[in-house]
Amino acid sequence: MGSEDDAALVARTVAGDSAAFGVLVDRYAGQARRVARAVLGDPDDADDAAQDGFLSALVKLGQYDARRPFGPWLMRIVANAATDRRRRRNVRRSEPLDPSLVGGGPRPDAVAVQSELGERLRSALQELPERRRTAVVLFDVEGYSHAEIARILGIPEGTVRSEVFHGRRRLRTLLADWKEQVR
Amino acid sequence: MKDMSSDFRDPELAAALRSALEPRGDHAAFVARVMAQYDHALDRGTVPTLDVLASWFRPGIAAAAAALIAGFLLGRAILTPAPASFDTALAPMEGQGLAALVTAPDPPDASVVFASLVEQR
Repeated sequence: MGSEDDAALVARTVAGDSAAFGVLVDRYAGQARRVARAVLGDPDDADDAAQDGFLSALVKLGQYDARRPFGPWLMRIVANAATDRRRRRNVRRSEPLDPSLVGGGPRPDAVAVQSELGERLRSALQELPERRRTAVVLFDVEGYSHAEIARILGIPEGTVRSEVFHGRRRLRTLLADWKEQVR
Repeated sequence: MKDMSSDFRDPELAAALRSALEPRGDHAAFVARVMAQYDHALDRGTVPTLDVLASWFRPGIAAAAAALIAGFLLGRAILTPAPASFDTALAPMEGQGLAALVTAPDPPDASVVFASLVEQR
């Protein structure tokens, strides 16, 4: 069942097969949770939003066009669910960067280094406009094309290119600075 | 201006971002959590037929009443003959109808009055 294509799983789900939907959730859970986290920042809120997205998709499966890829369709719903949740709950803004992370300090161990880098990246992501950070994550992390991201976010493909370009520039700068520091 | 560099993925940035956005909780637990809401979501998403019919009840009654009133008014407008004009009513009347109306000892028959009006036309 694991290799069954998405369209077939959707068809079986629409026919009432909950196990087929379970396979889809299993297949896209990681991606949905990361995309929701890119929008929301907070991992618990992100999981709630990802769950909202899956359940909303379940109800709307009859509207899915099987000639198109399932992933972008689902990610659009997940991204919208995350955005809705952020608006509804007025999700707290990301905490300002801890000054001790910016200044050198004692050299931490490898795990702490990774953790610290992750914290910095998350903070940097939250400083980007929502659409920009979502576009970067969908492109670089989830591997969607510009055209697919345009459909997910409901914006022109040229705008997606611009958002990815500007988002990456900020994140790459941060990453380069980080590498310099830990060298 | 097209930026060619945005056409290619950046593996280093991708790996760092993926690590930074990695979900905190267990994957299987998340899947189970979503599936626990499967039936509930379908129940919420499917509106029972009777509810749909009930939602149509009030607008349907209002539309039917409006149609009935409109039909009544239209029918009355079509079936009611146009009243005689004021000039016609005051014009000197001649003919059998008028004579019968004036000379008859009994109250006039409505058909006689009507006939006199028709003759005026």
